[in-house]
Amino acid sequence: MRYAIEAEGLVKRFDSTVALAGVDLAADTGTVLAVLGRNGAGKTTAVRILATLAHPDGGSARVGGHDVVRSPDRVRRLIGLTGQYASVDENLTGTQNLFMIGRLLGMSRPDAHDRATALLARFELAAAADRGVKGYSGGMRRRLDLAASLVGDPRIIYLDEPTTGLDPHARVELWAAVRALAADGVTVLLTTQYMDEADQLADAIVVLDRGAVVASGTPDGLKAEVGGQRLEVRPERPEHRDAVAGILAALAGQKPEWRRNLLRVSVRDLSLPAEVLRRLDGAGIPVAELSVRRPSLDEVFLTLTGEPRPAPEPAVRTDGTAPAEATAPREKTVPMGATASIEESAA
Amino acid sequence: MMSLAQQGFTLAWRSLVPLRNSPGQLTGYLLQPVVMVVVFVYLFGGASAGGDRHSAVLYALPGVLAQSALMATIATGVNLNTDLHNGVFDRFRSLPIARAAPLLGRVLADLCLLCLSVCMALLVGFVVGFRIGTGPVQVVAAVALILAIAVALSWGSALLGLVSRTPASVQVTATAVIMPLSLGSTAFIPLREMPGWLQFWMRVNPASHLADAVRGLLVGRPYDARLGTDIVVTLGWVAAMLAVFVPLAVRAYRRRI
Repeated sequence: MRYAIEAEGLVKRFDSTVALAGVDLAADTGTVLAVLGRNGAGKTTAVRILATLAHPDGGSARVGGHDVVRSPDRVRRLIGLTGQYASVDENLTGTQNLFMIGRLLGMSRPDAHDRATALLARFELAAAADRGVKGYSGGMRRRLDLAASLVGDPRIIYLDEPTTGLDPHARVELWAAVRALAADGVTVLLTTQYMDEADQLADAIVVLDRGAVVASGTPDGLKAEVGGQRLEVRPERPEHRDAVAGILAALAGQKPEWRRNLLRVSVRDLSLPAEVLRRLDGAGIPVAELSVRRPSLDEVFLTLTGEPRPAPEPAVRTDGTAPAEATAPREKTVPMGATASIEESAA
Repeated sequence: MMSLAQQGFTLAWRSLVPLRNSPGQLTGYLLQPVVMVVVFVYLFGGASAGGDRHSAVLYALPGVLAQSALMATIATGVNLNTDLHNGVFDRFRSLPIARAAPLLGRVLADLCLLCLSVCMALLVGFVVGFRIGTGPVQVVAAVALILAIAVALSWGSALLGLVSRTPASVQVTATAVIMPLSLGSTAFIPLREMPGWLQFWMRVNPASHLADAVRGLLVGRPYDARLGTDIVVTLGWVAAMLAVFVPLAVRAYRRRI
């Protein structure tokens, strides 16, 4: 079977809100698929459908070859789910949480206990094993949550925003855990709003915006798709801005963008930077910085989904609870440019 | 079926373990029967039994037991509704376990707590002079009857917990149902002392049959005149409530996803 996860035309509505408007996605067996999108894009809704927690209003999805609506029990036997909010019981200890899952999956008491101990050790929670989860840090909870989803040794794992709200250290630890899973041949579906996370972990990316797929492909493919390289020039003196902009416009055939003292154009012809440099030199304009680099995934994302805008108001479900995705903490705005890397320099 | 049992017991364990981790939460379960005995034996009991405290104890204690069963069921819906807002329920729903397992676990856990309350009430009753006038078989039958009605009502409470929005609204609705059932029954006050219209309600009220059956089983004479009828009617209610509430609750749980 080529695809571990396969969805076609998924539609989900909550009252008048369309959470998913016909989403196609597919994850090859043994790969990491990142579903990228901002708050309210429909990521969590898609995961809930694929995890048999919600019924699609349209379209179909198969997980491990089983239809999520017709054979939910078969799907549940294959998957592990790590929710956006750590879905562990905070009234229990770490060991008790994992023991409980093991017992629910039909393990004997000793087996469930051994499995709990092994997983706690694997996720560096052994020291906190017998402490109440209430006292765990955010990173510890996520790791326990991931451990809980692995008790049954599933071959397909959903990670719904596994690092949202984590500090950078805890994030890197979780990434390592995801990589280890992928190395084991587990198919991972990861939702995230962090471009660098998708870039770091994913074999393939699906970009969701307002319930629709706006792009999909490999990280490199997406970067290429958005168009060539970024040429950035910073004049040493601000008064030269217009002159530099004129040169760039003449050569690149497009009006450069001005942001943070940088003039930026997309270029496809790599002989262009050298020509820009010659003309600037000829005009006697000193340049503080000139670089050519591939667009970052942030730029790809922003290009695909339009300029940043405030997250839409949380949609309200018919049962009165807000969708989990919409109530996510607000601090996690798209980290614009923060991760832009200079990969090549023609200067 | 074996796996459903293991799943149900595991989830009941999950609900009870926090009480072991912090036993302070048990205080309520232990204190409630004490308060009930004091209120209905000493505060109201003396009046209804014409000042005869001993017969007041004999009359009221089985009523306290019956009432504990009714009151305990409120917790099922409240706890279940609280659980629904807990992320761990998403995990349960994504596991290959029986749909009824989380509900069964909740009902079983509350049943254990009810057992605790019943034992406590019997203990307190013993201290204030209650004596069992029958044999061990009847005592076991009385406890079984209490637990049976509690299980049946728990599924109704679970249903309420699944269709309500907040734990508080479950509490209010369940209390509004349970109060007239438990207080408007022969649990604490004999039928003959009530006005006619209330006698009618008390006669049809299943809680009256439960209280009378428990009284007949624990005390014996003179309360066992209609014992057979009371047991049959109570079991009839148990069967009817299970037949209605279990499928509806499981259906509501499925729909809640």
